[in-house]
Amino acid sequence: MRELRDRPDEADDGGRAERDGPGAGAVRERSEVRSRSEYAADAELAVGLEVVRRFDARRAGLTEVSTRDAAAYLDVRQAERPWLAAARDRSPEVQRLFAALDQGGGHGHIRHEGWVTEEMSRRRVAYLEDPAQLDPAKRAAAIDGLLPGDQRHRCGSLATRIVNPDAFAVAFARGAEHSDVRGALDAEIRKSRVPSPVVLPIASLLGPHGHRYCTGWQLEAVEGSVKTARERRDASADVTVRQVETFDGGTVIFAFGPNRARSGYEIVSMYVNPPDGA
Amino acid sequence: MNEAYWAKNPNGPFATLIAVAATYCHPEAYDGADADLVDRARSPEPDDEEIRLFKTELREALADPARLPDDELFKAVDYGDGSDERFLRRLWRDLYGDEPTAGA
Repeated sequence: MRELRDRPDEADDGGRAERDGPGAGAVRERSEVRSRSEYAADAELAVGLEVVRRFDARRAGLTEVSTRDAAAYLDVRQAERPWLAAARDRSPEVQRLFAALDQGGGHGHIRHEGWVTEEMSRRRVAYLEDPAQLDPAKRAAAIDGLLPGDQRHRCGSLATRIVNPDAFAVAFARGAEHSDVRGALDAEIRKSRVPSPVVLPIASLLGPHGHRYCTGWQLEAVEGSVKTARERRDASADVTVRQVETFDGGTVIFAFGPNRARSGYEIVSMYVNPPDGA
Repeated sequence: MNEAYWAKNPNGPFATLIAVAATYCHPEAYDGADADLVDRARSPEPDDEEIRLFKTELREALADPARLPDDELFKAVDYGDGSDERFLRRLWRDLYGDEPTAGA
């Protein structure tokens, strides 16, 4: 699919067609026969929600939030923080995780989760339009929505997301229990030192069919090189993008940084990558 | 199960360079990562062996970028400089200014 900067944006369906919710009463926009792997993915997810129930926000470098306070937090903040809408009709445990995440310094739930639509994701990688930027003019101007001082938004050669909030919560909670992630989160805070990212197979967090909850867009190579495409995109040249074909065999990346108080580390981003060559 | 290059190849070529660059230079890095890396590189703590090894490996990579493991640097960092060499040169300049890359 080729996209040019001066082409009118395609109609945005709000990403509703991509949102699935096992046990959450979500309604599909269109009728279709669900595949065996979709059922399997949902079944694996239902089992995975147990890890969300036992999620310890403090051990993830976040503020602990009760399920009651989480519901209230989502109610009060959703208008100014629209990415919280994805969690509103989810279980109390998933809401608790999202509320805790939102009070930390990370942005994974803001840029790499299902409230971001396919169109927003495509425009992020193509034009550096930040989903977190709520001012339309600033978003079109590639101004980052989370950094101070009208800084330019940064995006790599991919923009990806986990489209289902339950799947996002399971991946985060399960990842937070992984020994390498725990090693990073439990490390003694040292001045300017930060643990390196941890890269885990999607299947290890969401089951063998969990890749079905992942979508993304990537830069098409220019003169045979994605590096060249990335360089040109950053220089505001027109580039073409294409949808990632599959996340089967892909990975989840956990990136770390100091928490706001610089008293410990937290997961500042969690995002998915397709397998090499996808 | 950690599939990061540096986790799978702790003694592999330029593992420390790639790990540190991935931590601080990737677009998903935290706000303030740039400044922290500059601070860490220019004022290393006495026990920060990792940043010392990082500098050594950065020198070696600049001397011969062809020795970098195939595409691992870009996979880890997703830089916008167009090539490993341009990214590494910018990194050296940002961290060490005019200090010669061929050091002691």
